[in-house]
Amino acid sequence: MKDVKIIRKTAPYLRRPQANVTRMMRDVTIALVPATLVALYSFGLSALLVILLSILTMVVTEYVYYQIQDLNNGEGFQLKNKSFTLYNFSAVTSGLIYGLTLPDDTAWWIIVVGGALGLFLAKLIWGGMGQNIFNPAAVARLLVVVTYGTIIASTQHVDGVAGATALGVQNADPFSLEALSSYGLTNLFTGIGIPGSIGEVSAIALIIGGVYLAMRSSFEVRIPLAFIGTVAMLALAVGLVVNVNPIEYMLFHVLSGGLLFGAIFMATDPITSPITKPGRIAAGFMMGVVTFLIRLFGAYPEGVVFSIVLMNLFVPTFDYFKWSKSSFTKRRILYFIGVVVLTIAVVLVGVYYAR
Amino acid sequence: MIKKSRNVRDYKALTKALPTLRYVDPEKVYIHLQNGRCKTYDLYVKEGDKVTLGEIIGMRHGGFFEQPIHSTVSGVIGPVSKMFHRTGRKVDCVEIRNDFTETYHPSVIDRPDSVIEKLTQAEMVQIIKDRSLVGLGGSGFPSYIKLGTKEKIDTVVVNAVECEPYLSSDYRLIMEHPGRVVEGLKYVLQALGAKKGLIAIKNKNKALSQVLTQVINVRYPELDVKVVGLGNYYPQGWEIEVFKNALGIEIPNGVLPMKYGVIGFNVSTCVGMFDAIKHNLPVTKRYFTLTGDAIKFPQNYRVKVGTSVKELIEMSDGYSGNAEEVLVIMGGPMMGTSVTSDNVIVSKTTTSVIVLKNVDYKEEPCVRCGSCVYSCPVHIEPVQIMNAVKKDDKEAMKGLEAYKCIECGLCAYVCTSKIHVTDYVRKAKKLIG
Repeated sequence: MKDVKIIRKTAPYLRRPQANVTRMMRDVTIALVPATLVALYSFGLSALLVILLSILTMVVTEYVYYQIQDLNNGEGFQLKNKSFTLYNFSAVTSGLIYGLTLPDDTAWWIIVVGGALGLFLAKLIWGGMGQNIFNPAAVARLLVVVTYGTIIASTQHVDGVAGATALGVQNADPFSLEALSSYGLTNLFTGIGIPGSIGEVSAIALIIGGVYLAMRSSFEVRIPLAFIGTVAMLALAVGLVVNVNPIEYMLFHVLSGGLLFGAIFMATDPITSPITKPGRIAAGFMMGVVTFLIRLFGAYPEGVVFSIVLMNLFVPTFDYFKWSKSSFTKRRILYFIGVVVLTIAVVLVGVYYAR
Repeated sequence: MIKKSRNVRDYKALTKALPTLRYVDPEKVYIHLQNGRCKTYDLYVKEGDKVTLGEIIGMRHGGFFEQPIHSTVSGVIGPVSKMFHRTGRKVDCVEIRNDFTETYHPSVIDRPDSVIEKLTQAEMVQIIKDRSLVGLGGSGFPSYIKLGTKEKIDTVVVNAVECEPYLSSDYRLIMEHPGRVVEGLKYVLQALGAKKGLIAIKNKNKALSQVLTQVINVRYPELDVKVVGLGNYYPQGWEIEVFKNALGIEIPNGVLPMKYGVIGFNVSTCVGMFDAIKHNLPVTKRYFTLTGDAIKFPQNYRVKVGTSVKELIEMSDGYSGNAEEVLVIMGGPMMGTSVTSDNVIVSKTTTSVIVLKNVDYKEEPCVRCGSCVYSCPVHIEPVQIMNAVKKDDKEAMKGLEAYKCIECGLCAYVCTSKIHVTDYVRKAKKLIG
């Protein structure tokens, strides 16, 4: 009989063949293809430059960081170093997401500074993939908004400040549908003829990407559903109170700005979302609330990125072992419904005083 | 992949359709004298003594788990040596050289049906105890303790789900001897005074359902025994999951199912009952699957307890040509124990040996996808327990209820990053005692 070496391991000895980090990250990139194509169609070459520069910035930042880290650890220089994590698409995905959130005429140095700092501060210093507390793309975008917002705004774009498309116009009076007269709902849905961040304008392209991810089960569909659903619910409630068509008002809030993009591609980053189903739904709900509050009462017309980064901070709280449960219980569902009702009441009180 | 997934690729096609080979006569058998629960033993025979099949040659000591040791062949006693056991440890084993005469011990005599009909629970418990029948699905828990329960039992469930990948010995057992299964179940029903019997199989195994239904309808029309098809997922064969899906009873962690009026037996234990009560025979043979992707001819065997696995691997023409490093697993590939040598003995509770090519999975950093949390059958959060173990945070391990873990291995199986999550949870269980 043939001699073989017998190895000792511990159970289980099998792994799911199709489970793979690279597959998951690559799927996100693939899901962004429709949005990218719409961006290229609407904005042309400038969009291509923004996207390529963003990806390049993030990839190079990660590469250089790990090279320096390896050199510090006493490893010799190798072109493909040990801690090389580029193969699993995570930096590429972050770069693509970041690029798609920028307006098409963003200066190149803003893209580079924002991207490099974003990846460094949000991901690398925490220990790289899997350890990061914040979503790198969201933090990079946020840095651009808070540091260079005025520069971008000075280029005379209606959407200037925070990547909000038609929301910028609406910001002057959040309870009217004036913006709708210039950008119809159909335009918002397809993204044709809407100025704004290059990847966020076309709702249909983003939804196609979301459906693809859901079919490949590469993201948690409950987060965007809870996120968008919360915004829709609150907008509907407000629409019923103020003097506008509530359905149109709701659709306007859902389709405009970076909501769909943020909800589908940024909020669902598994590394920076809670680990349980109830936790994920609760986080999505909170993101929706914060987004809507900033849109209505905040200084910025758009709050998606803020809400995502803010909720990233609360992930350890959602996951704290004393109350984190992986299954739904009747009592928790009741509590949750109570919170939802309370939130609607608070928003409506706010609207009453704001008018 | 972020999803709840309990579909484990089952690879059963390798052996499921193959008839069982009767490999009954090895040159020597090795009977283990110790096991996981019984550390000490008495041997009543010495080297050179002649023994017969079914004769008591010793006694394993261990309180409740005390059980007589039976010879599984007729022959001559050899020396005592250390051999690998199913648990992966080396234990004392006595060698018996087979004389190939199959001489039965005088105690092995058939009981007529008229006698069996009159047996009480206590008498049956005594028979089972003397025949040292244990849970043959792998638990090794003495069956007499379960059969002697004082609780009022309504339903007896025979677990023939066999949800572990690769295994097909229970499948073959039912296909080839459905009558013994039902007869065994009949005795259990009689002993416990239970009315209803259920035989739980996987939904997709339509053939088993047909065979069993046929036998029940034709030969046992008076029995209230039904065949139920349960889910095809893993771990459907976990007893609590069987009760939940077959009867709708949810049994909380740490409570005995007997309190709810149900009791479960593995299908091979059930056949063991039949052998013990009808033929007064201890477990001397068992259905056994030798399979895996590193073995040339995967097969089902019916083997003498005490056969060396090495001989069986030789029977299957050895390891396949392109295997350099292999894993030899006693039991299923999800929960079984890996041993360092193929010189292992088949004990009563060994259902299978799986020989797999060694694959070193490349672990990536956890991306917190949550698949382990979604898939966990006991609804705990394996990834959080893993992080608690890394931080040595015992309070968190307790708070996350790591003690509930049944070590089914699903968390590691579904892991997107191919991290050995189960190992961490196991460690946590050990740390919090």
